Amino acid sequence: MLTINLFNGLVYGALLIVMCSGLALIYGLRRVVNFAHGSLYMLGAYLGYSIAMRSNFWVALVAVPAIMAMLGVLLDRYGFRLLQDRDPLSVVLVTFGLLLIIEDFVQTVWGKSNLSVPAPAALSTSIDLFGTPVPAYRLAVIAVGAGVALGLTLWLRYSKVGLFVRAASTDPTTTAMQGVNTDALSAGVVGLGTALAGLAGVVSAPFLSLSPSMSSDVIIDSFVVVVVGGLGSLSGAFIAAMGLGMVQALGAVYLPNAAVLLPFMLMVGILIWKPSGFAGSRT
Amino acid sequence: MTIPKLFLSAVVALAVGAAVAAFGGSGKVLSLLTQAVIYAVFAIGVGLLLRQNGMVSFGHALFFGTSGYAIGIILQMQLMPAEAAIVLTLIAMGLIAFLMGLVMVRVPGVAFGMLTLAVGQMAFLSASRSRGVTGGADGMNVDWPSTLFGAPVSVLVQPHTMFMVCWATLVVVMLVLALLLRSRFGSITEAVRDNEERARFIGIRTLAPRAAVYALSAVVVGLSGVLSALNTGFVSPENLHWSLSGVSLMMVVVGGYKVLWGPALGAVVYFLAKDILGDYANHWMAIFGVALITVIVFSPTGIAGALQRLVHGKKAAPAARASHGH
Repeated sequence: MLTINLFNGLVYGALLIVMCSGLALIYGLRRVVNFAHGSLYMLGAYLGYSIAMRSNFWVALVAVPAIMAMLGVLLDRYGFRLLQDRDPLSVVLVTFGLLLIIEDFVQTVWGKSNLSVPAPAALSTSIDLFGTPVPAYRLAVIAVGAGVALGLTLWLRYSKVGLFVRAASTDPTTTAMQGVNTDALSAGVVGLGTALAGLAGVVSAPFLSLSPSMSSDVIIDSFVVVVVGGLGSLSGAFIAAMGLGMVQALGAVYLPNAAVLLPFMLMVGILIWKPSGFAGSRT
Repeated sequence: MTIPKLFLSAVVALAVGAAVAAFGGSGKVLSLLTQAVIYAVFAIGVGLLLRQNGMVSFGHALFFGTSGYAIGIILQMQLMPAEAAIVLTLIAMGLIAFLMGLVMVRVPGVAFGMLTLAVGQMAFLSASRSRGVTGGADGMNVDWPSTLFGAPVSVLVQPHTMFMVCWATLVVVMLVLALLLRSRFGSITEAVRDNEERARFIGIRTLAPRAAVYALSAVVVGLSGVLSALNTGFVSPENLHWSLSGVSLMMVVVGGYKVLWGPALGAVVYFLAKDILGDYANHWMAIFGVALITVIVFSPTGIAGALQRLVHGKKAAPAARASHGH
């Protein structure tokens, strides 16, 4: 019981890592808390459903992030870039408006009933883990989360573009003066962040059912993660995502009545102790 | 506006309300307007926090739902008369929100919004799960007694009287807030909002006024929750859900939060538009999404700001300047 719960906590944590890295990247470059991130995740999941039904899951796994990346670039070019001189509140509300539009779009195209995507055949077996059989697909989700975390960390630390991204997150004006095209950089990063939301959506489709409420469930947990980790901090978000997965898993075993409240209590506690999150220095 | 002028406009507003109630036509129109007015009070509370504190709450449904539940539970357990329950609930809202505010307003910027979202969701989940007390996801009926403040409830719930009660509440709330914000309290909170550091330098304690604005906005929203419980006789977890907080924020921004009556206008526009769009109601989310984005992009001061520009010419335009300082 405990093993399977901890394992599911890891799976959920991995999914949150993919979600929140996109949210944190976008916040880092554009100082935008993207309320539509959860809806983009949902859009990714539904697109994945349609593509997987017509061809197969692996095509969806590649195609959806690509489509979402293009959407993200457009969102930056015709949204965030034009609004970069506005106060943060206005931009947050624009993303809230976007959330409403995407939710409506998804409900119109795919309807309100629950849909599900079968796990790909290669991963629909189960594997023995410490004497407990676990679905192979969920192991793969953990691997995706770990891959995203590792890939982003290495990319930001060792590549030239990664250096630019880190510089622009600290001080966009100075970075631009040094000759970095921050607009193109932001478009790329918002594209990447949106692609990650789409990836999270496709990956979640075979083990969470698709419904119009899937976005608000995940976005609120994602907000808890990025705020607890410190807005804009990737490593903080990774740790907080895993922490939240674990807290929910352990809470379900030891405090079943309060399990759903634990993430919020955690958030309130950490923000009272350190108002800018445990890895955050920015406001 | 001078003080006599304020009172005069309040009297005129009440007279207009009475005229609407008397000649406003069918009960259906009036009950729509009643709903709009209840949400106008809600939006004024949310707008107050934004205007006086520069803080965006994504969780004010917390106070809307909690006040309804508080009254519902008190009346169900027959702890005290309904009048006392209303007064006690509002006082408790203020006290609890003040204590919460002391902690929460220290969280900077957007993180504050998310903290309010988290606290609101906590209340939503608790209410949906404690079936014994709140009726869980089904909600609970509020058993109003047969008379309230000396008036028979059967008369109060008539569309005409209900509208008038809500309208009068709205007018009184706006009058009280307008008077309060003219006072030293208003100046202090504006100074703290514009530049907390400098306000501290000139000797203003900054934490308490911000918490006080938070508490005040909670009381106003709590009042709208009471009106809603009176109007529908029912509370459900939906009253606590974050989408309601989001909608209220939308009313605030579309209406325009720089002036006191802006959010109220936003609420009325929201309900009228929702009614007119009746046939397209399946797509109201997308329609309001587009409307929200359009207003923010083209008129950051909302409909109220646009109206003011029309009336005063270019003079009022500088009010559009963002007033966020660090």
